[in-house]
Amino acid sequence: MPHTGPARSTPADPVARLRRLLGPSGWLDDTAARTVYARDASHLRLGRPLGVALPATREAAAAVLRACADAGLAVVARGTGTGLSGGALPADGQVVLGLSRLTACGAVDETGRRVLVGAGVLNDQVSRHARSSGLHFAPDPSSQAAASIGGNVAENAGGPHCLRHGVTLQHVRRLAWLDAEGRAWSTGCGAPGIRGLDLATLLCGSEGTLGLVTDAELSLVPVAEAEATLLAPFPRLEEAAAAVVDLLADGLLPVAVETVDRAMLVAVEAAFGFGFPTDVDAVVIAEFAGAAAEVAADGERARRLLAGAGAPDVRLAADAAERARLWQCRKRAFGAVGRLAPSYVTMDVVVPLGALPRLVTDIQGIKAEHGVEVATTFHAGDGNLHPGVHYDDRDPEETHRAHAAADAIIRRALALGGSITGEHGVGVEKLHALPWQVDAEAARLMHGVKDIFDPAGRLNPGKVLPALACDWTPAPPVPGEIEVRRRDLTVTAPAGASLAAVQRAAREHGFWVPLGGWFDRTAAGPGAGSLGTVGEAVDQNTTGPALVGGLSVRDVLLEVWATDGQGRDFHAGAPVFKNVAGYDLTHLLAGAGGILARVRAATFKLRPLPPVLAWWTWRGDVAAAWPRFEAVLAKRPAEPGAPVVVADLAAGFLGVLAAGREAPWDLDGLGEELAVAAVSLEITGSEQTPSTAVDIIPAVLPDWARGASDWFALHAADGGPSAPAGDRFLWQAAPRTLWTPVAPPASTDLVCDPVWQGGVPTPLPAPPDGVPRHLLQGLKDFFDPDRSLPTPVWLQTGQETP
Amino acid sequence: MSETGLRNELEDLLRRCVECGLCLPHCATWLATGNEVQSPRGRLLLLGDVLDQASPDPAALSALDQCIGCRACEEACPSGVPFSLLERGQQRAAAAAPEPALPGPVLRRLDRPGFLAALRPLANTGQDMLAHLAGRTWRDRLARIAAVQVLGTVPRGPGSDQSLVALLDRLTGNSGPWQAPRPAPEPDAGPLGFFAGCANRGLLPDTSRRLRGLLEAAGFQITVPGNQDCCGALAAHTGRPGRAARLRRRNRRAFAGAGRIVVEAAGCGLELQSRADGPEAEAVDAVVVLAGADLPPLATLGLAVAVHDPCHARHGQGIVDEPRDLLRSIPGVRVLEPDEAEVCCGAGGAWGLRYPHLSEELGRRKARLLAATGADLIVTSNPGCLGRIADGLARESVEPPILPLTDLLWYAAIRAKG
Repeated sequence: MPHTGPARSTPADPVARLRRLLGPSGWLDDTAARTVYARDASHLRLGRPLGVALPATREAAAAVLRACADAGLAVVARGTGTGLSGGALPADGQVVLGLSRLTACGAVDETGRRVLVGAGVLNDQVSRHARSSGLHFAPDPSSQAAASIGGNVAENAGGPHCLRHGVTLQHVRRLAWLDAEGRAWSTGCGAPGIRGLDLATLLCGSEGTLGLVTDAELSLVPVAEAEATLLAPFPRLEEAAAAVVDLLADGLLPVAVETVDRAMLVAVEAAFGFGFPTDVDAVVIAEFAGAAAEVAADGERARRLLAGAGAPDVRLAADAAERARLWQCRKRAFGAVGRLAPSYVTMDVVVPLGALPRLVTDIQGIKAEHGVEVATTFHAGDGNLHPGVHYDDRDPEETHRAHAAADAIIRRALALGGSITGEHGVGVEKLHALPWQVDAEAARLMHGVKDIFDPAGRLNPGKVLPALACDWTPAPPVPGEIEVRRRDLTVTAPAGASLAAVQRAAREHGFWVPLGGWFDRTAAGPGAGSLGTVGEAVDQNTTGPALVGGLSVRDVLLEVWATDGQGRDFHAGAPVFKNVAGYDLTHLLAGAGGILARVRAATFKLRPLPPVLAWWTWRGDVAAAWPRFEAVLAKRPAEPGAPVVVADLAAGFLGVLAAGREAPWDLDGLGEELAVAAVSLEITGSEQTPSTAVDIIPAVLPDWARGASDWFALHAADGGPSAPAGDRFLWQAAPRTLWTPVAPPASTDLVCDPVWQGGVPTPLPAPPDGVPRHLLQGLKDFFDPDRSLPTPVWLQTGQETP
Repeated sequence: MSETGLRNELEDLLRRCVECGLCLPHCATWLATGNEVQSPRGRLLLLGDVLDQASPDPAALSALDQCIGCRACEEACPSGVPFSLLERGQQRAAAAAPEPALPGPVLRRLDRPGFLAALRPLANTGQDMLAHLAGRTWRDRLARIAAVQVLGTVPRGPGSDQSLVALLDRLTGNSGPWQAPRPAPEPDAGPLGFFAGCANRGLLPDTSRRLRGLLEAAGFQITVPGNQDCCGALAAHTGRPGRAARLRRRNRRAFAGAGRIVVEAAGCGLELQSRADGPEAEAVDAVVVLAGADLPPLATLGLAVAVHDPCHARHGQGIVDEPRDLLRSIPGVRVLEPDEAEVCCGAGGAWGLRYPHLSEELGRRKARLLAATGADLIVTSNPGCLGRIADGLARESVEPPILPLTDLLWYAAIRAKG
């Protein structure tokens, strides 16, 4: 047994201590290990590590961090080394801390749709583990077969199916993590969509520079009832890009839309022989998933659109096996590039969706100008491109040209309003490009975040952030009015704008910000489906009880302009669907209660407006019938349009609202069984009927649900199902929340946040146990040293020592 | 090829590796250790130095030697890096290999069926004692003694027809008299030379006999050349190329004129196929022959069966569909796929004798994953895998028995008549 107790004095030689701690199979410092762990999937190299620590438990990982802290050694966290930006590369003398042995996989919680896994569990393993429960883990980076969850969190990984489901952050409920001193902490509260400073927003995408994640509680998504995958060959690449934009702007929402260009098709065909055409410029892959009837209708509509846009021979994947093979080929495309050239720079630029065709055209120009070959796969629906610039690294001139071309592509994407990286991370590869995107104040704040989490600068130093003394770019101007960009699927609005006005503007285009709300607040205060201002939504991360279930504000927020406590303006994020350029200040502000910064404007993503709203009412013993209703309702996918329940126990009344497609679902037969009366209304309406369901619905809601001065948000502490609390409640499937207008009985074991009292938001609640308050205090001190912004009581007192 | 030419060719092949890491989850040694030095990408990163330097780093040599050679990485690799690259490193690394867990005189005789046949009763008794007297705890403790560890993995078939029928009757609920399959009245499926294989001949003779009966019932004319010998794989993998070449010459003579050779063990099959100086006739895995044959009627068996593919079949010969097709040809059988189906079970022939502990860990992992399918029965088609997984199942105290696939088919055939 290695002796790790404090009784023994700390040996002077850290290597001896680490070896004793981990044993010969857990501490590797021979030449072979130092050679292998000097590399990752990025083709870059910095140096050789002092050694590699492979702890088998969370406690051993903590002990490694303590040993390194005592010796002043820098630590580079590593999952499986599949990163493409060099985030896991060690420099000379640093310690690699590999988390590949933390492979515990907890039981799947089917009702709560979640699972707790170790950092070393592979992405694909999570989905395989959950499959028998009819669930899967939605983020699916192309390296998912080999990429670890720890690495996914560190990079805030995306993947083709993030178009519909969102990136890793959206699927992380809680993280167990270690700080630079090896102290164990937690994040969040286990329930999505609640207020608070959630450190998961910073840890996700921080590339191991802020802390080391050891375990992650992940959200799982139901496996769709049906899928349809279309393969559309386009004679011209520009037409393919334009077709993707048209498809989404037309209101279709596939789960994934990918494009592969000719050079990449040739490589993939050579490698796997899938049967892709290689005599066309590009192939678009569009996948729909959901209820069988909807999928069939969407697939057909997409086929017609793609055919009309220049792809005469759209093919439908024959069966699940062909679909699986198609995705396998697509996801292994990266590796197939090894057949084209000895080296390549893999880029990861993102642009607003509408700018995709423009960037595609410009890349052709850059190719010709620099005399380089480029093969591209795109997550086209996300506006995320992976052009691979090929070169032979034995030829210095060619190497130089390739890198110049890559930089030109990045500059072009930024000029179009995009980001330097959507999902691969900055690592070391894009350090030089970060200042082209981020403004000086945002950079100062990011450096501040790093100093608060890791004051000694020992966690993966030299990654993500270049030195502060750089030429940072000016922030884009603050928008003064609501602007819907239909082809980008975004809407930008100043903080003071009413969200209801934003929704009205979006509705004209057939879209909405999927927050479950539609109209202005009544004099009584927030209520079902009513919305406050844009700024308030960002601060609270909720707009109150939903009319139909939606996403949380954090899930739809893309970009913010804000002012910190000292009156310094900054801009964070970008009007794009994926962005991992630097620390995620945007999502840190979502739900921060305005304690760090005052929001000035924000950009949200748009979703197609569900055409039909259904309203079921039922009278009887609600408390007795509730479990049957909840069992049916909880099975619905947690996405925009998910059901909301309005219940009044004393009145014996229960109403269910849900938005959907032409045929609203029938409560799975429960309607008939319990004699539920149903009405369905068109949301979008038509020119002949000026009033739409959205405007009619408030009239059918009970007064107490339309608006109240007080609202309590309740979540089951374990994330599981929530039972009725109080006489009147609103229950929403997404984000899973129970709202009551009166304080719940103290006996309830639900986590309660009194979000509104007397019609105004209450101060931000204190974080749950396990969250490092000293870091929240540190953030507050840095963003608002003079306390000029709202300050909850728990942050007014002196700093706690951990 | 000149030394420089060879060096350039190797360098070009090495440069194909884009270090994407997609090979990692397919590599048994990486899965077991979480150590990237023990992964295909890690080994390739070390290969250049191993081939270049006069005295390469011992840790690098050891990493290459610890590659089982299962070839799962080759199939997973999107850039098409050939496994032959790693093989070159392994040849260089052989000198650094640890001593096998068996004494040399014993190891050298493992490719002699007679020796194995003599060992069989001893091994069987030993395993019975381990299973019944020692139990799992003692099995684990005793396994520190290399000989005991090896003993646990000696492949063991179901034995006589009676004991096979009793085992499967218990699982399927069948009973009653039965009759062994009879040769087809008009043997029109063509001639087949039967390659006996050391382990099958020495340790699983009843299974081999039943396979021959099944092939004859399917209309094949079986000949078993008496002068055949070991395929040479063990000799080649234990640094005895001279003996391997002698064995190949002997088999080439023995099977001269045979139309096709049917091979029971996947490892033998791959060895016979891949050497230019091996038999002229085409060596075909027994599972492939059976999958294409006109089998006698098969009984309905209400069994959920998990398949384990030997690496030499799946990765070496691309045999994946055939065992599943065969199982599905038995009415009532449900085929189950374990997680990590493409990953090696850790048997690895001589490799398992050099790295008994890693081999054991892999066997247990495989056993757990196979049992997790909820199968009533596990089948495979290679004696090494059979022994390794049976040992893993015993150590993990998990239920389903493991049988040669051909034994299950034979049982389905004899029960069809009852």
